Amino acid sequence: MTLATSSSLYRAVQRRRNRGLLGLYIVVTAFLILYAVLFPGILSVGGFSKFTQNWFPLALVAMAQALLMLNGGITLAIGPMVSLGAVIAATTMGGPLGTFGGFLAVAAAGLCIGAATGAIVALLRLPAIIVTLAGSFIISGVALIMLPRPGGFVPEWLSTLLAGHTPMAFLLLVLILGLWKIFLATPLGLGIYAAGDNPVGAYRSGVPIDRVKIVSFALSGLLAALAGLFVAAQTGSGDPIIGTPFTLNSIAAAVLGGVGFLGGKGTMRGAVCGSLLLSVMINVMFFLGFPPVAQYVAQGLIIVGAVAVPELLGRWRTNR
Amino acid sequence: MITVTTPICASMRRLLAAAATAAIMVATTASGASAASGCIKGDRKAPYTIGWANIYSVPTWMKQTEGTITAEVDELKKAGLVKDLMITDAQGNAQTQIQHIQSMIDANVDAIVVIAGSSNALDRVISDACDKGIAIVNFDSLVNTDKVTAKINTDSAEWGGAAAKWLVGQLGGKGKIIVMNGPAGISVSDDRRKGAQPVLDANKDIEVITETNSEYNVAPAQEAMTSLLFANQEIDGVLSLGGALSAGSVLAFDRQGRDQVPITGENARQFLELWKEKGLKGWATMQPNWLGAFSVYTAVQALEGKTVPAFIKVPLPVIDDSSVESYLARAENFPADGYIYSDYDKALFDKLLAQ
Repeated sequence: MTLATSSSLYRAVQRRRNRGLLGLYIVVTAFLILYAVLFPGILSVGGFSKFTQNWFPLALVAMAQALLMLNGGITLAIGPMVSLGAVIAATTMGGPLGTFGGFLAVAAAGLCIGAATGAIVALLRLPAIIVTLAGSFIISGVALIMLPRPGGFVPEWLSTLLAGHTPMAFLLLVLILGLWKIFLATPLGLGIYAAGDNPVGAYRSGVPIDRVKIVSFALSGLLAALAGLFVAAQTGSGDPIIGTPFTLNSIAAAVLGGVGFLGGKGTMRGAVCGSLLLSVMINVMFFLGFPPVAQYVAQGLIIVGAVAVPELLGRWRTNR
Repeated sequence: MITVTTPICASMRRLLAAAATAAIMVATTASGASAASGCIKGDRKAPYTIGWANIYSVPTWMKQTEGTITAEVDELKKAGLVKDLMITDAQGNAQTQIQHIQSMIDANVDAIVVIAGSSNALDRVISDACDKGIAIVNFDSLVNTDKVTAKINTDSAEWGGAAAKWLVGQLGGKGKIIVMNGPAGISVSDDRRKGAQPVLDANKDIEVITETNSEYNVAPAQEAMTSLLFANQEIDGVLSLGGALSAGSVLAFDRQGRDQVPITGENARQFLELWKEKGLKGWATMQPNWLGAFSVYTAVQALEGKTVPAFIKVPLPVIDDSSVESYLARAENFPADGYIYSDYDKALFDKLLAQ
């Protein structure tokens, strides 16, 4: 009995969430079809692999951002964290730690820096936007100290494995989304939405708000650092400033995906979809032969359109 | 729009056909027996489609460079050598630039001209393009990989060294100087600074009081210099390493009512005008904007079967008190916040290619 009601409640919630995303789904699908028409090679394994590789790091940082925005936070340290992940990978993998050790170092750095940021935000009750802004300066500085200019080493086999002519990046993305689904089923995962939607209510219902915050910051740092590792593998080296544009793009992707700034509103699939739109848009405009100036304008119009369409649809539905 | 899509369909078919024979192609180029330029397989026929993968189109230097590229393409179109120019702007994002170059490979352009957003990040996608027989000409900000047709640049270390040498000479080998650098973590800015170091080391009486890092723009440079002027009463010279940094510094000295000191710089119109107006002791060199036009020219020459050098070092044009007037005489033809570059023509390009 309880099982039946909870599963119908689950479906109702999912339906409501998906409805908000309908406009975005339509726009993204339209762009994907247009892209396939303009460049049929995307349907081959090689073409699909290359496209998804270019999208993958943006998808990861969009998730990293959405994770925090869902519980009412935000981070401005995504870009520097990506740079640091790339730098750590490129400086450790050639050394005594080896490739696997380097991977662990990147993951540990992401988790620890994220958790430390989360602890400052949660325990000292400081605004996330200020703490992560300060954090972004520190992390950028550390990345520049570790690797003052582009360089370092990433083993060729790792580059080929992650960013060769196979859709490994896409499979990893599917895997990570699967893990997110499982995480959401745990009390801690549920707490992320609860803490963002109604922190006081969540606290009174026994959700460990502080712990939820610290965990989500840690996971967000992990995702951003892993995006950096992927970028290092994709490019075959480290670059201390390569991540910078990811900060703004991660926020754009999450907002496009319907994730609200006030927490509790939005979905991970929305954020990933938003990042896909940002990525496919670049390729479509290239194949349409848009001059760069028109691309700036078109990009803005598409983003506004993708946000406005579901809003207008919603209004039209309520008026009817 | 339609004219752009049709060649893509045609080129797709060519791509598929090429894929069938790819194995044989790879085998022949791997042997390295042919004398052709890097990446060139000789299977591409004029008129060519050129891709211009820019990292960031907003700075004036970039706009002027793009101007020389489109002018050159127009010339080559008249000669029946080029049919199309595809321009992308990665908006400063190296990751986006990778995506753009991948799209150019997908669209099977014949040549890619590129300023790299990162010295390493593009290596893999560029070597992919090279494997497809696309002529790659890389200028200004260079990539690490050698799987390109040609790299074209001035020598950044020489830039820094020559600037430092002039300043040391002006100061008679003794004095306190401030070094103004471009942004941190950028190869060009790093290389210019490194090039200056041996000269500074050799002159122990030259003391570097402090250094700045800022974007190559007037406003941040002026801001940085203004705060340094408050902190340092005695400054004998400014070693400014590029862009509009020097103009910012001169303006800061001026606003503070301080006497101008010898200063190095680049061919920014604003700096050259201040140089004359304030009667500065100045020295400038440049990263010529026509490197863009020259890169397109080189790519087409390589596609036409000419052997081009793998690395083309373009000598630094120097502006000093004797030649600054001749640059200012042409100032009207350049944007107010732009760079007055030296003259260029086909004869100069051919001479540089014959190195």
